[in-house]
Amino acid sequence: MYLEVKNLAKHFDSDYPIIKDLSFSIKKGEIISFLGESGSGKTTFLKCIAGLEKINSGSISLNSVCLNDKNTFINPQDRKIGFVFQDYPLFPHLNLKDNITFNLSKKYFSNLDYILKLTSLKYLLNRYPHELSGGEQQRACIARALIREPELLLLDEPFSNLDTTIKESMREEIYKIIKETKTTTILVTHDINDAMNISDRILIFKAGILQQYDDPVKMYCEPANCYCAEILGDLNKLFVNQETYYVRPEKVKVVKRKSDYKVFVEKCFFQGKEYKIKGRKDNEIWHFFSKDPIKEKEDVYVEFGKKDLIYFDPVCKNFFK
Amino acid sequence: MEIREYYIFTDNKRWVFGSLFLALILLSPIIVLAISFFSGSKTTLLYLLDNVLLDYTLNTIYLIIITSFFALILGVFPAWIISNYIFFGRKFFDIVLYLPLAIPSYIMGFTYIDILSYTGPIQSYLRDMSPYLAEIFNKDYLQIEVLGALLGLALYPYVYTASRISFSLIGSNYVNISKNLGLSTFQTFYKVILPLSRPAIFSGLFLVIMEVLNEYGAVKYFGVNTYTTGIFRSWFSFGDVSGAIQLACILLVIVLFFFILDRFSIKNSKFYYQKNSQIQKMKLTNWKKSVFMSSVCFIPFFFGFLVPFFFILNNAIQTYSLTNFEKLIQLTGNTVYVASVASVIIIFVALFFLFVERISKAKINFFTNNLISLGYALPGAIIGLGIILLFSKFSLVGSLFILIFAYIIRFLAVAKSPIKSSLDKHPNTIDDTGRNLGLNPLNLLRRLHLPINKFALISAFIVTFIDIMKELPITLILRPFNFDTLATQTYEFAVEEMIPLSATYSLVIITLGSLMLLILKNFIDKQINVS
Repeated sequence: MYLEVKNLAKHFDSDYPIIKDLSFSIKKGEIISFLGESGSGKTTFLKCIAGLEKINSGSISLNSVCLNDKNTFINPQDRKIGFVFQDYPLFPHLNLKDNITFNLSKKYFSNLDYILKLTSLKYLLNRYPHELSGGEQQRACIARALIREPELLLLDEPFSNLDTTIKESMREEIYKIIKETKTTTILVTHDINDAMNISDRILIFKAGILQQYDDPVKMYCEPANCYCAEILGDLNKLFVNQETYYVRPEKVKVVKRKSDYKVFVEKCFFQGKEYKIKGRKDNEIWHFFSKDPIKEKEDVYVEFGKKDLIYFDPVCKNFFK
Repeated sequence: MEIREYYIFTDNKRWVFGSLFLALILLSPIIVLAISFFSGSKTTLLYLLDNVLLDYTLNTIYLIIITSFFALILGVFPAWIISNYIFFGRKFFDIVLYLPLAIPSYIMGFTYIDILSYTGPIQSYLRDMSPYLAEIFNKDYLQIEVLGALLGLALYPYVYTASRISFSLIGSNYVNISKNLGLSTFQTFYKVILPLSRPAIFSGLFLVIMEVLNEYGAVKYFGVNTYTTGIFRSWFSFGDVSGAIQLACILLVIVLFFFILDRFSIKNSKFYYQKNSQIQKMKLTNWKKSVFMSSVCFIPFFFGFLVPFFFILNNAIQTYSLTNFEKLIQLTGNTVYVASVASVIIIFVALFFLFVERISKAKINFFTNNLISLGYALPGAIIGLGIILLFSKFSLVGSLFILIFAYIIRFLAVAKSPIKSSLDKHPNTIDDTGRNLGLNPLNLLRRLHLPINKFALISAFIVTFIDIMKELPITLILRPFNFDTLATQTYEFAVEEMIPLSATYSLVIITLGSLMLLILKNFIDKQINVS
């Protein structure tokens, strides 16, 4: 394995551990999304990988070299890890070119043209950070990280400061850049769309421990627990034989004939391609989609396959509360 | 297995220990002074308690109250007007209202007493024009109330600066909301802006109070008995070092009280408001209001700068033939030399402390940084006494080294303030990025923080330089033999009742200080524009 994290624990106050026990590994060239709520310790995790924070126990190794364990700590400046921070910290006293080539070894200067072309920054070299847009600043930070050919790239919420219109195009651009440079990447985010669109695998992190680590499709269809299920999208709750099951909205089909499942339609939202229906079944709120509009305040019949039902342990929800 | 313990003390260890060691050196005179207090004789303390302490305390408090009143009136209202209204001369006043900072309070005192004296221009003119009015004006102006008003004139820029920045940062949203909720302009000022700016105004006022406690030249000239004059009298006039130490320690306790009060006030009323767009400027169409506002701004500038400046200029011209220009050049050289060297050292020491606090994030550094800031609140007499006690055995007293060491203790907080504001503007991710790009702490300081904070460092140099140039008590106590500065020469002429002869020296201090302040204003504007 390329990056190997074993039993990593991190706390600032031992009564409130941020990371209790985290183990996972990444293959070379993979893009991993680290998904968790704000304040769950995602950035702290990245800082531990980069050496900006020291771990309390466990080990981190990259490309078979131990970065941090009981006896070893490699300084951040000696790890070949690129870090793109959330707030795009370009140095305000340097222009774009000087920012990208800041403290750069001579051997990497030949990469400059390639990186500038890749990030479309070629004509902005003499501009200062305050003369760049949010997207340009972000690309500059990525260029600064990639030009030194890092063994691992860490992206901390790179899209959180962008508005929705440029967010999608930036996401695609970054994906293209990372894949073209074959850089192993960890993307930290709280946005499920970022994770789903860009990642080879997603790691869901909650309450200081790893909840699930899988590819996006499997994670969506077979979530490990109710937290993983809910974080990835809406769920409709139903009771079968005194057991609680869940089904994804897109697995629910509206049928014209009578079926076992009847939903009272409260609202029908037009969403362009289709209609999103908000209804109520057994006092639980349901969401699903329909190609045609459905009359509000009336019942509608729906159906879904048995294989689409998701089951969790009954105490699952209490655990996360 | 917990492994953090292996690293916690090695993380930036050398930097942390270095800063703690330096802090200990800077605090050592105060520690020595405190120790001496307990080893002093009880008889002296009882004598002080019975005879002078009540007089010193009441005078000091009364002087603080009068000075604070004038500093608040002259500082807050012009700051509010300039931050909110467009009127005739607004840009001009925005620059010149800082200028009284260039006039040392003792020069302000000497000058006004000269102006108001029997032989001064006002009474001479009145005697010719209206003998009856001249009789009314023929009074003894060497009163504590007059001194308080003059100190208010000299020190109001501290309150003005703090209020001006605070009013500008609050932005237009709060003004718009309060007006939308039905408050008049005055009610908005009174109920919204003033409470939001209270911490800033109090910080400015805290500096004024500390300056009053530290004041020696003017207080001595007016014959008002305060703690600082008491320390000097015990020490130099009566040769009672023990009494001076005990008075210094009591003053230290008073200073600590105000220091804690300031911190407590900031802690309890620190508002985290969103800094937004520039405060809404209202164009005045009514010329009466424009005249009123120009007058409100003109009064502090006129009495705080123009009157003393032109009076001193006139004196300088009159005594031109008596001026020893060779000596003037020599003293200007001494002043610029000692202020420059000390200021450069001070800004680097300040940057060092703030940088270590930033990279170590250790509570001990935060605590020591606060503790060494106490130096600014300590009157020069206390620092001087502490240093003499500490270094008398090493025969270092009377050297430039000791004088600069005292300046570092006294003015470190002055330099720290603009540097800290600038450092706080940059997110911690700047340091993290630097580390991630391969910089060790020394290079982080050299290659990132020095260039990024260069405007703040220059601002810090200027404010420190001006303060050192004006400084009197420390320089009087610790200057090397035969080493005079512009400040000490001005003071010596004044106490020998030769005020006109001191004019040229005062004029150089004021001109240098004003030039530096104008440069500083330019840098502050640049910083605001960049941010």
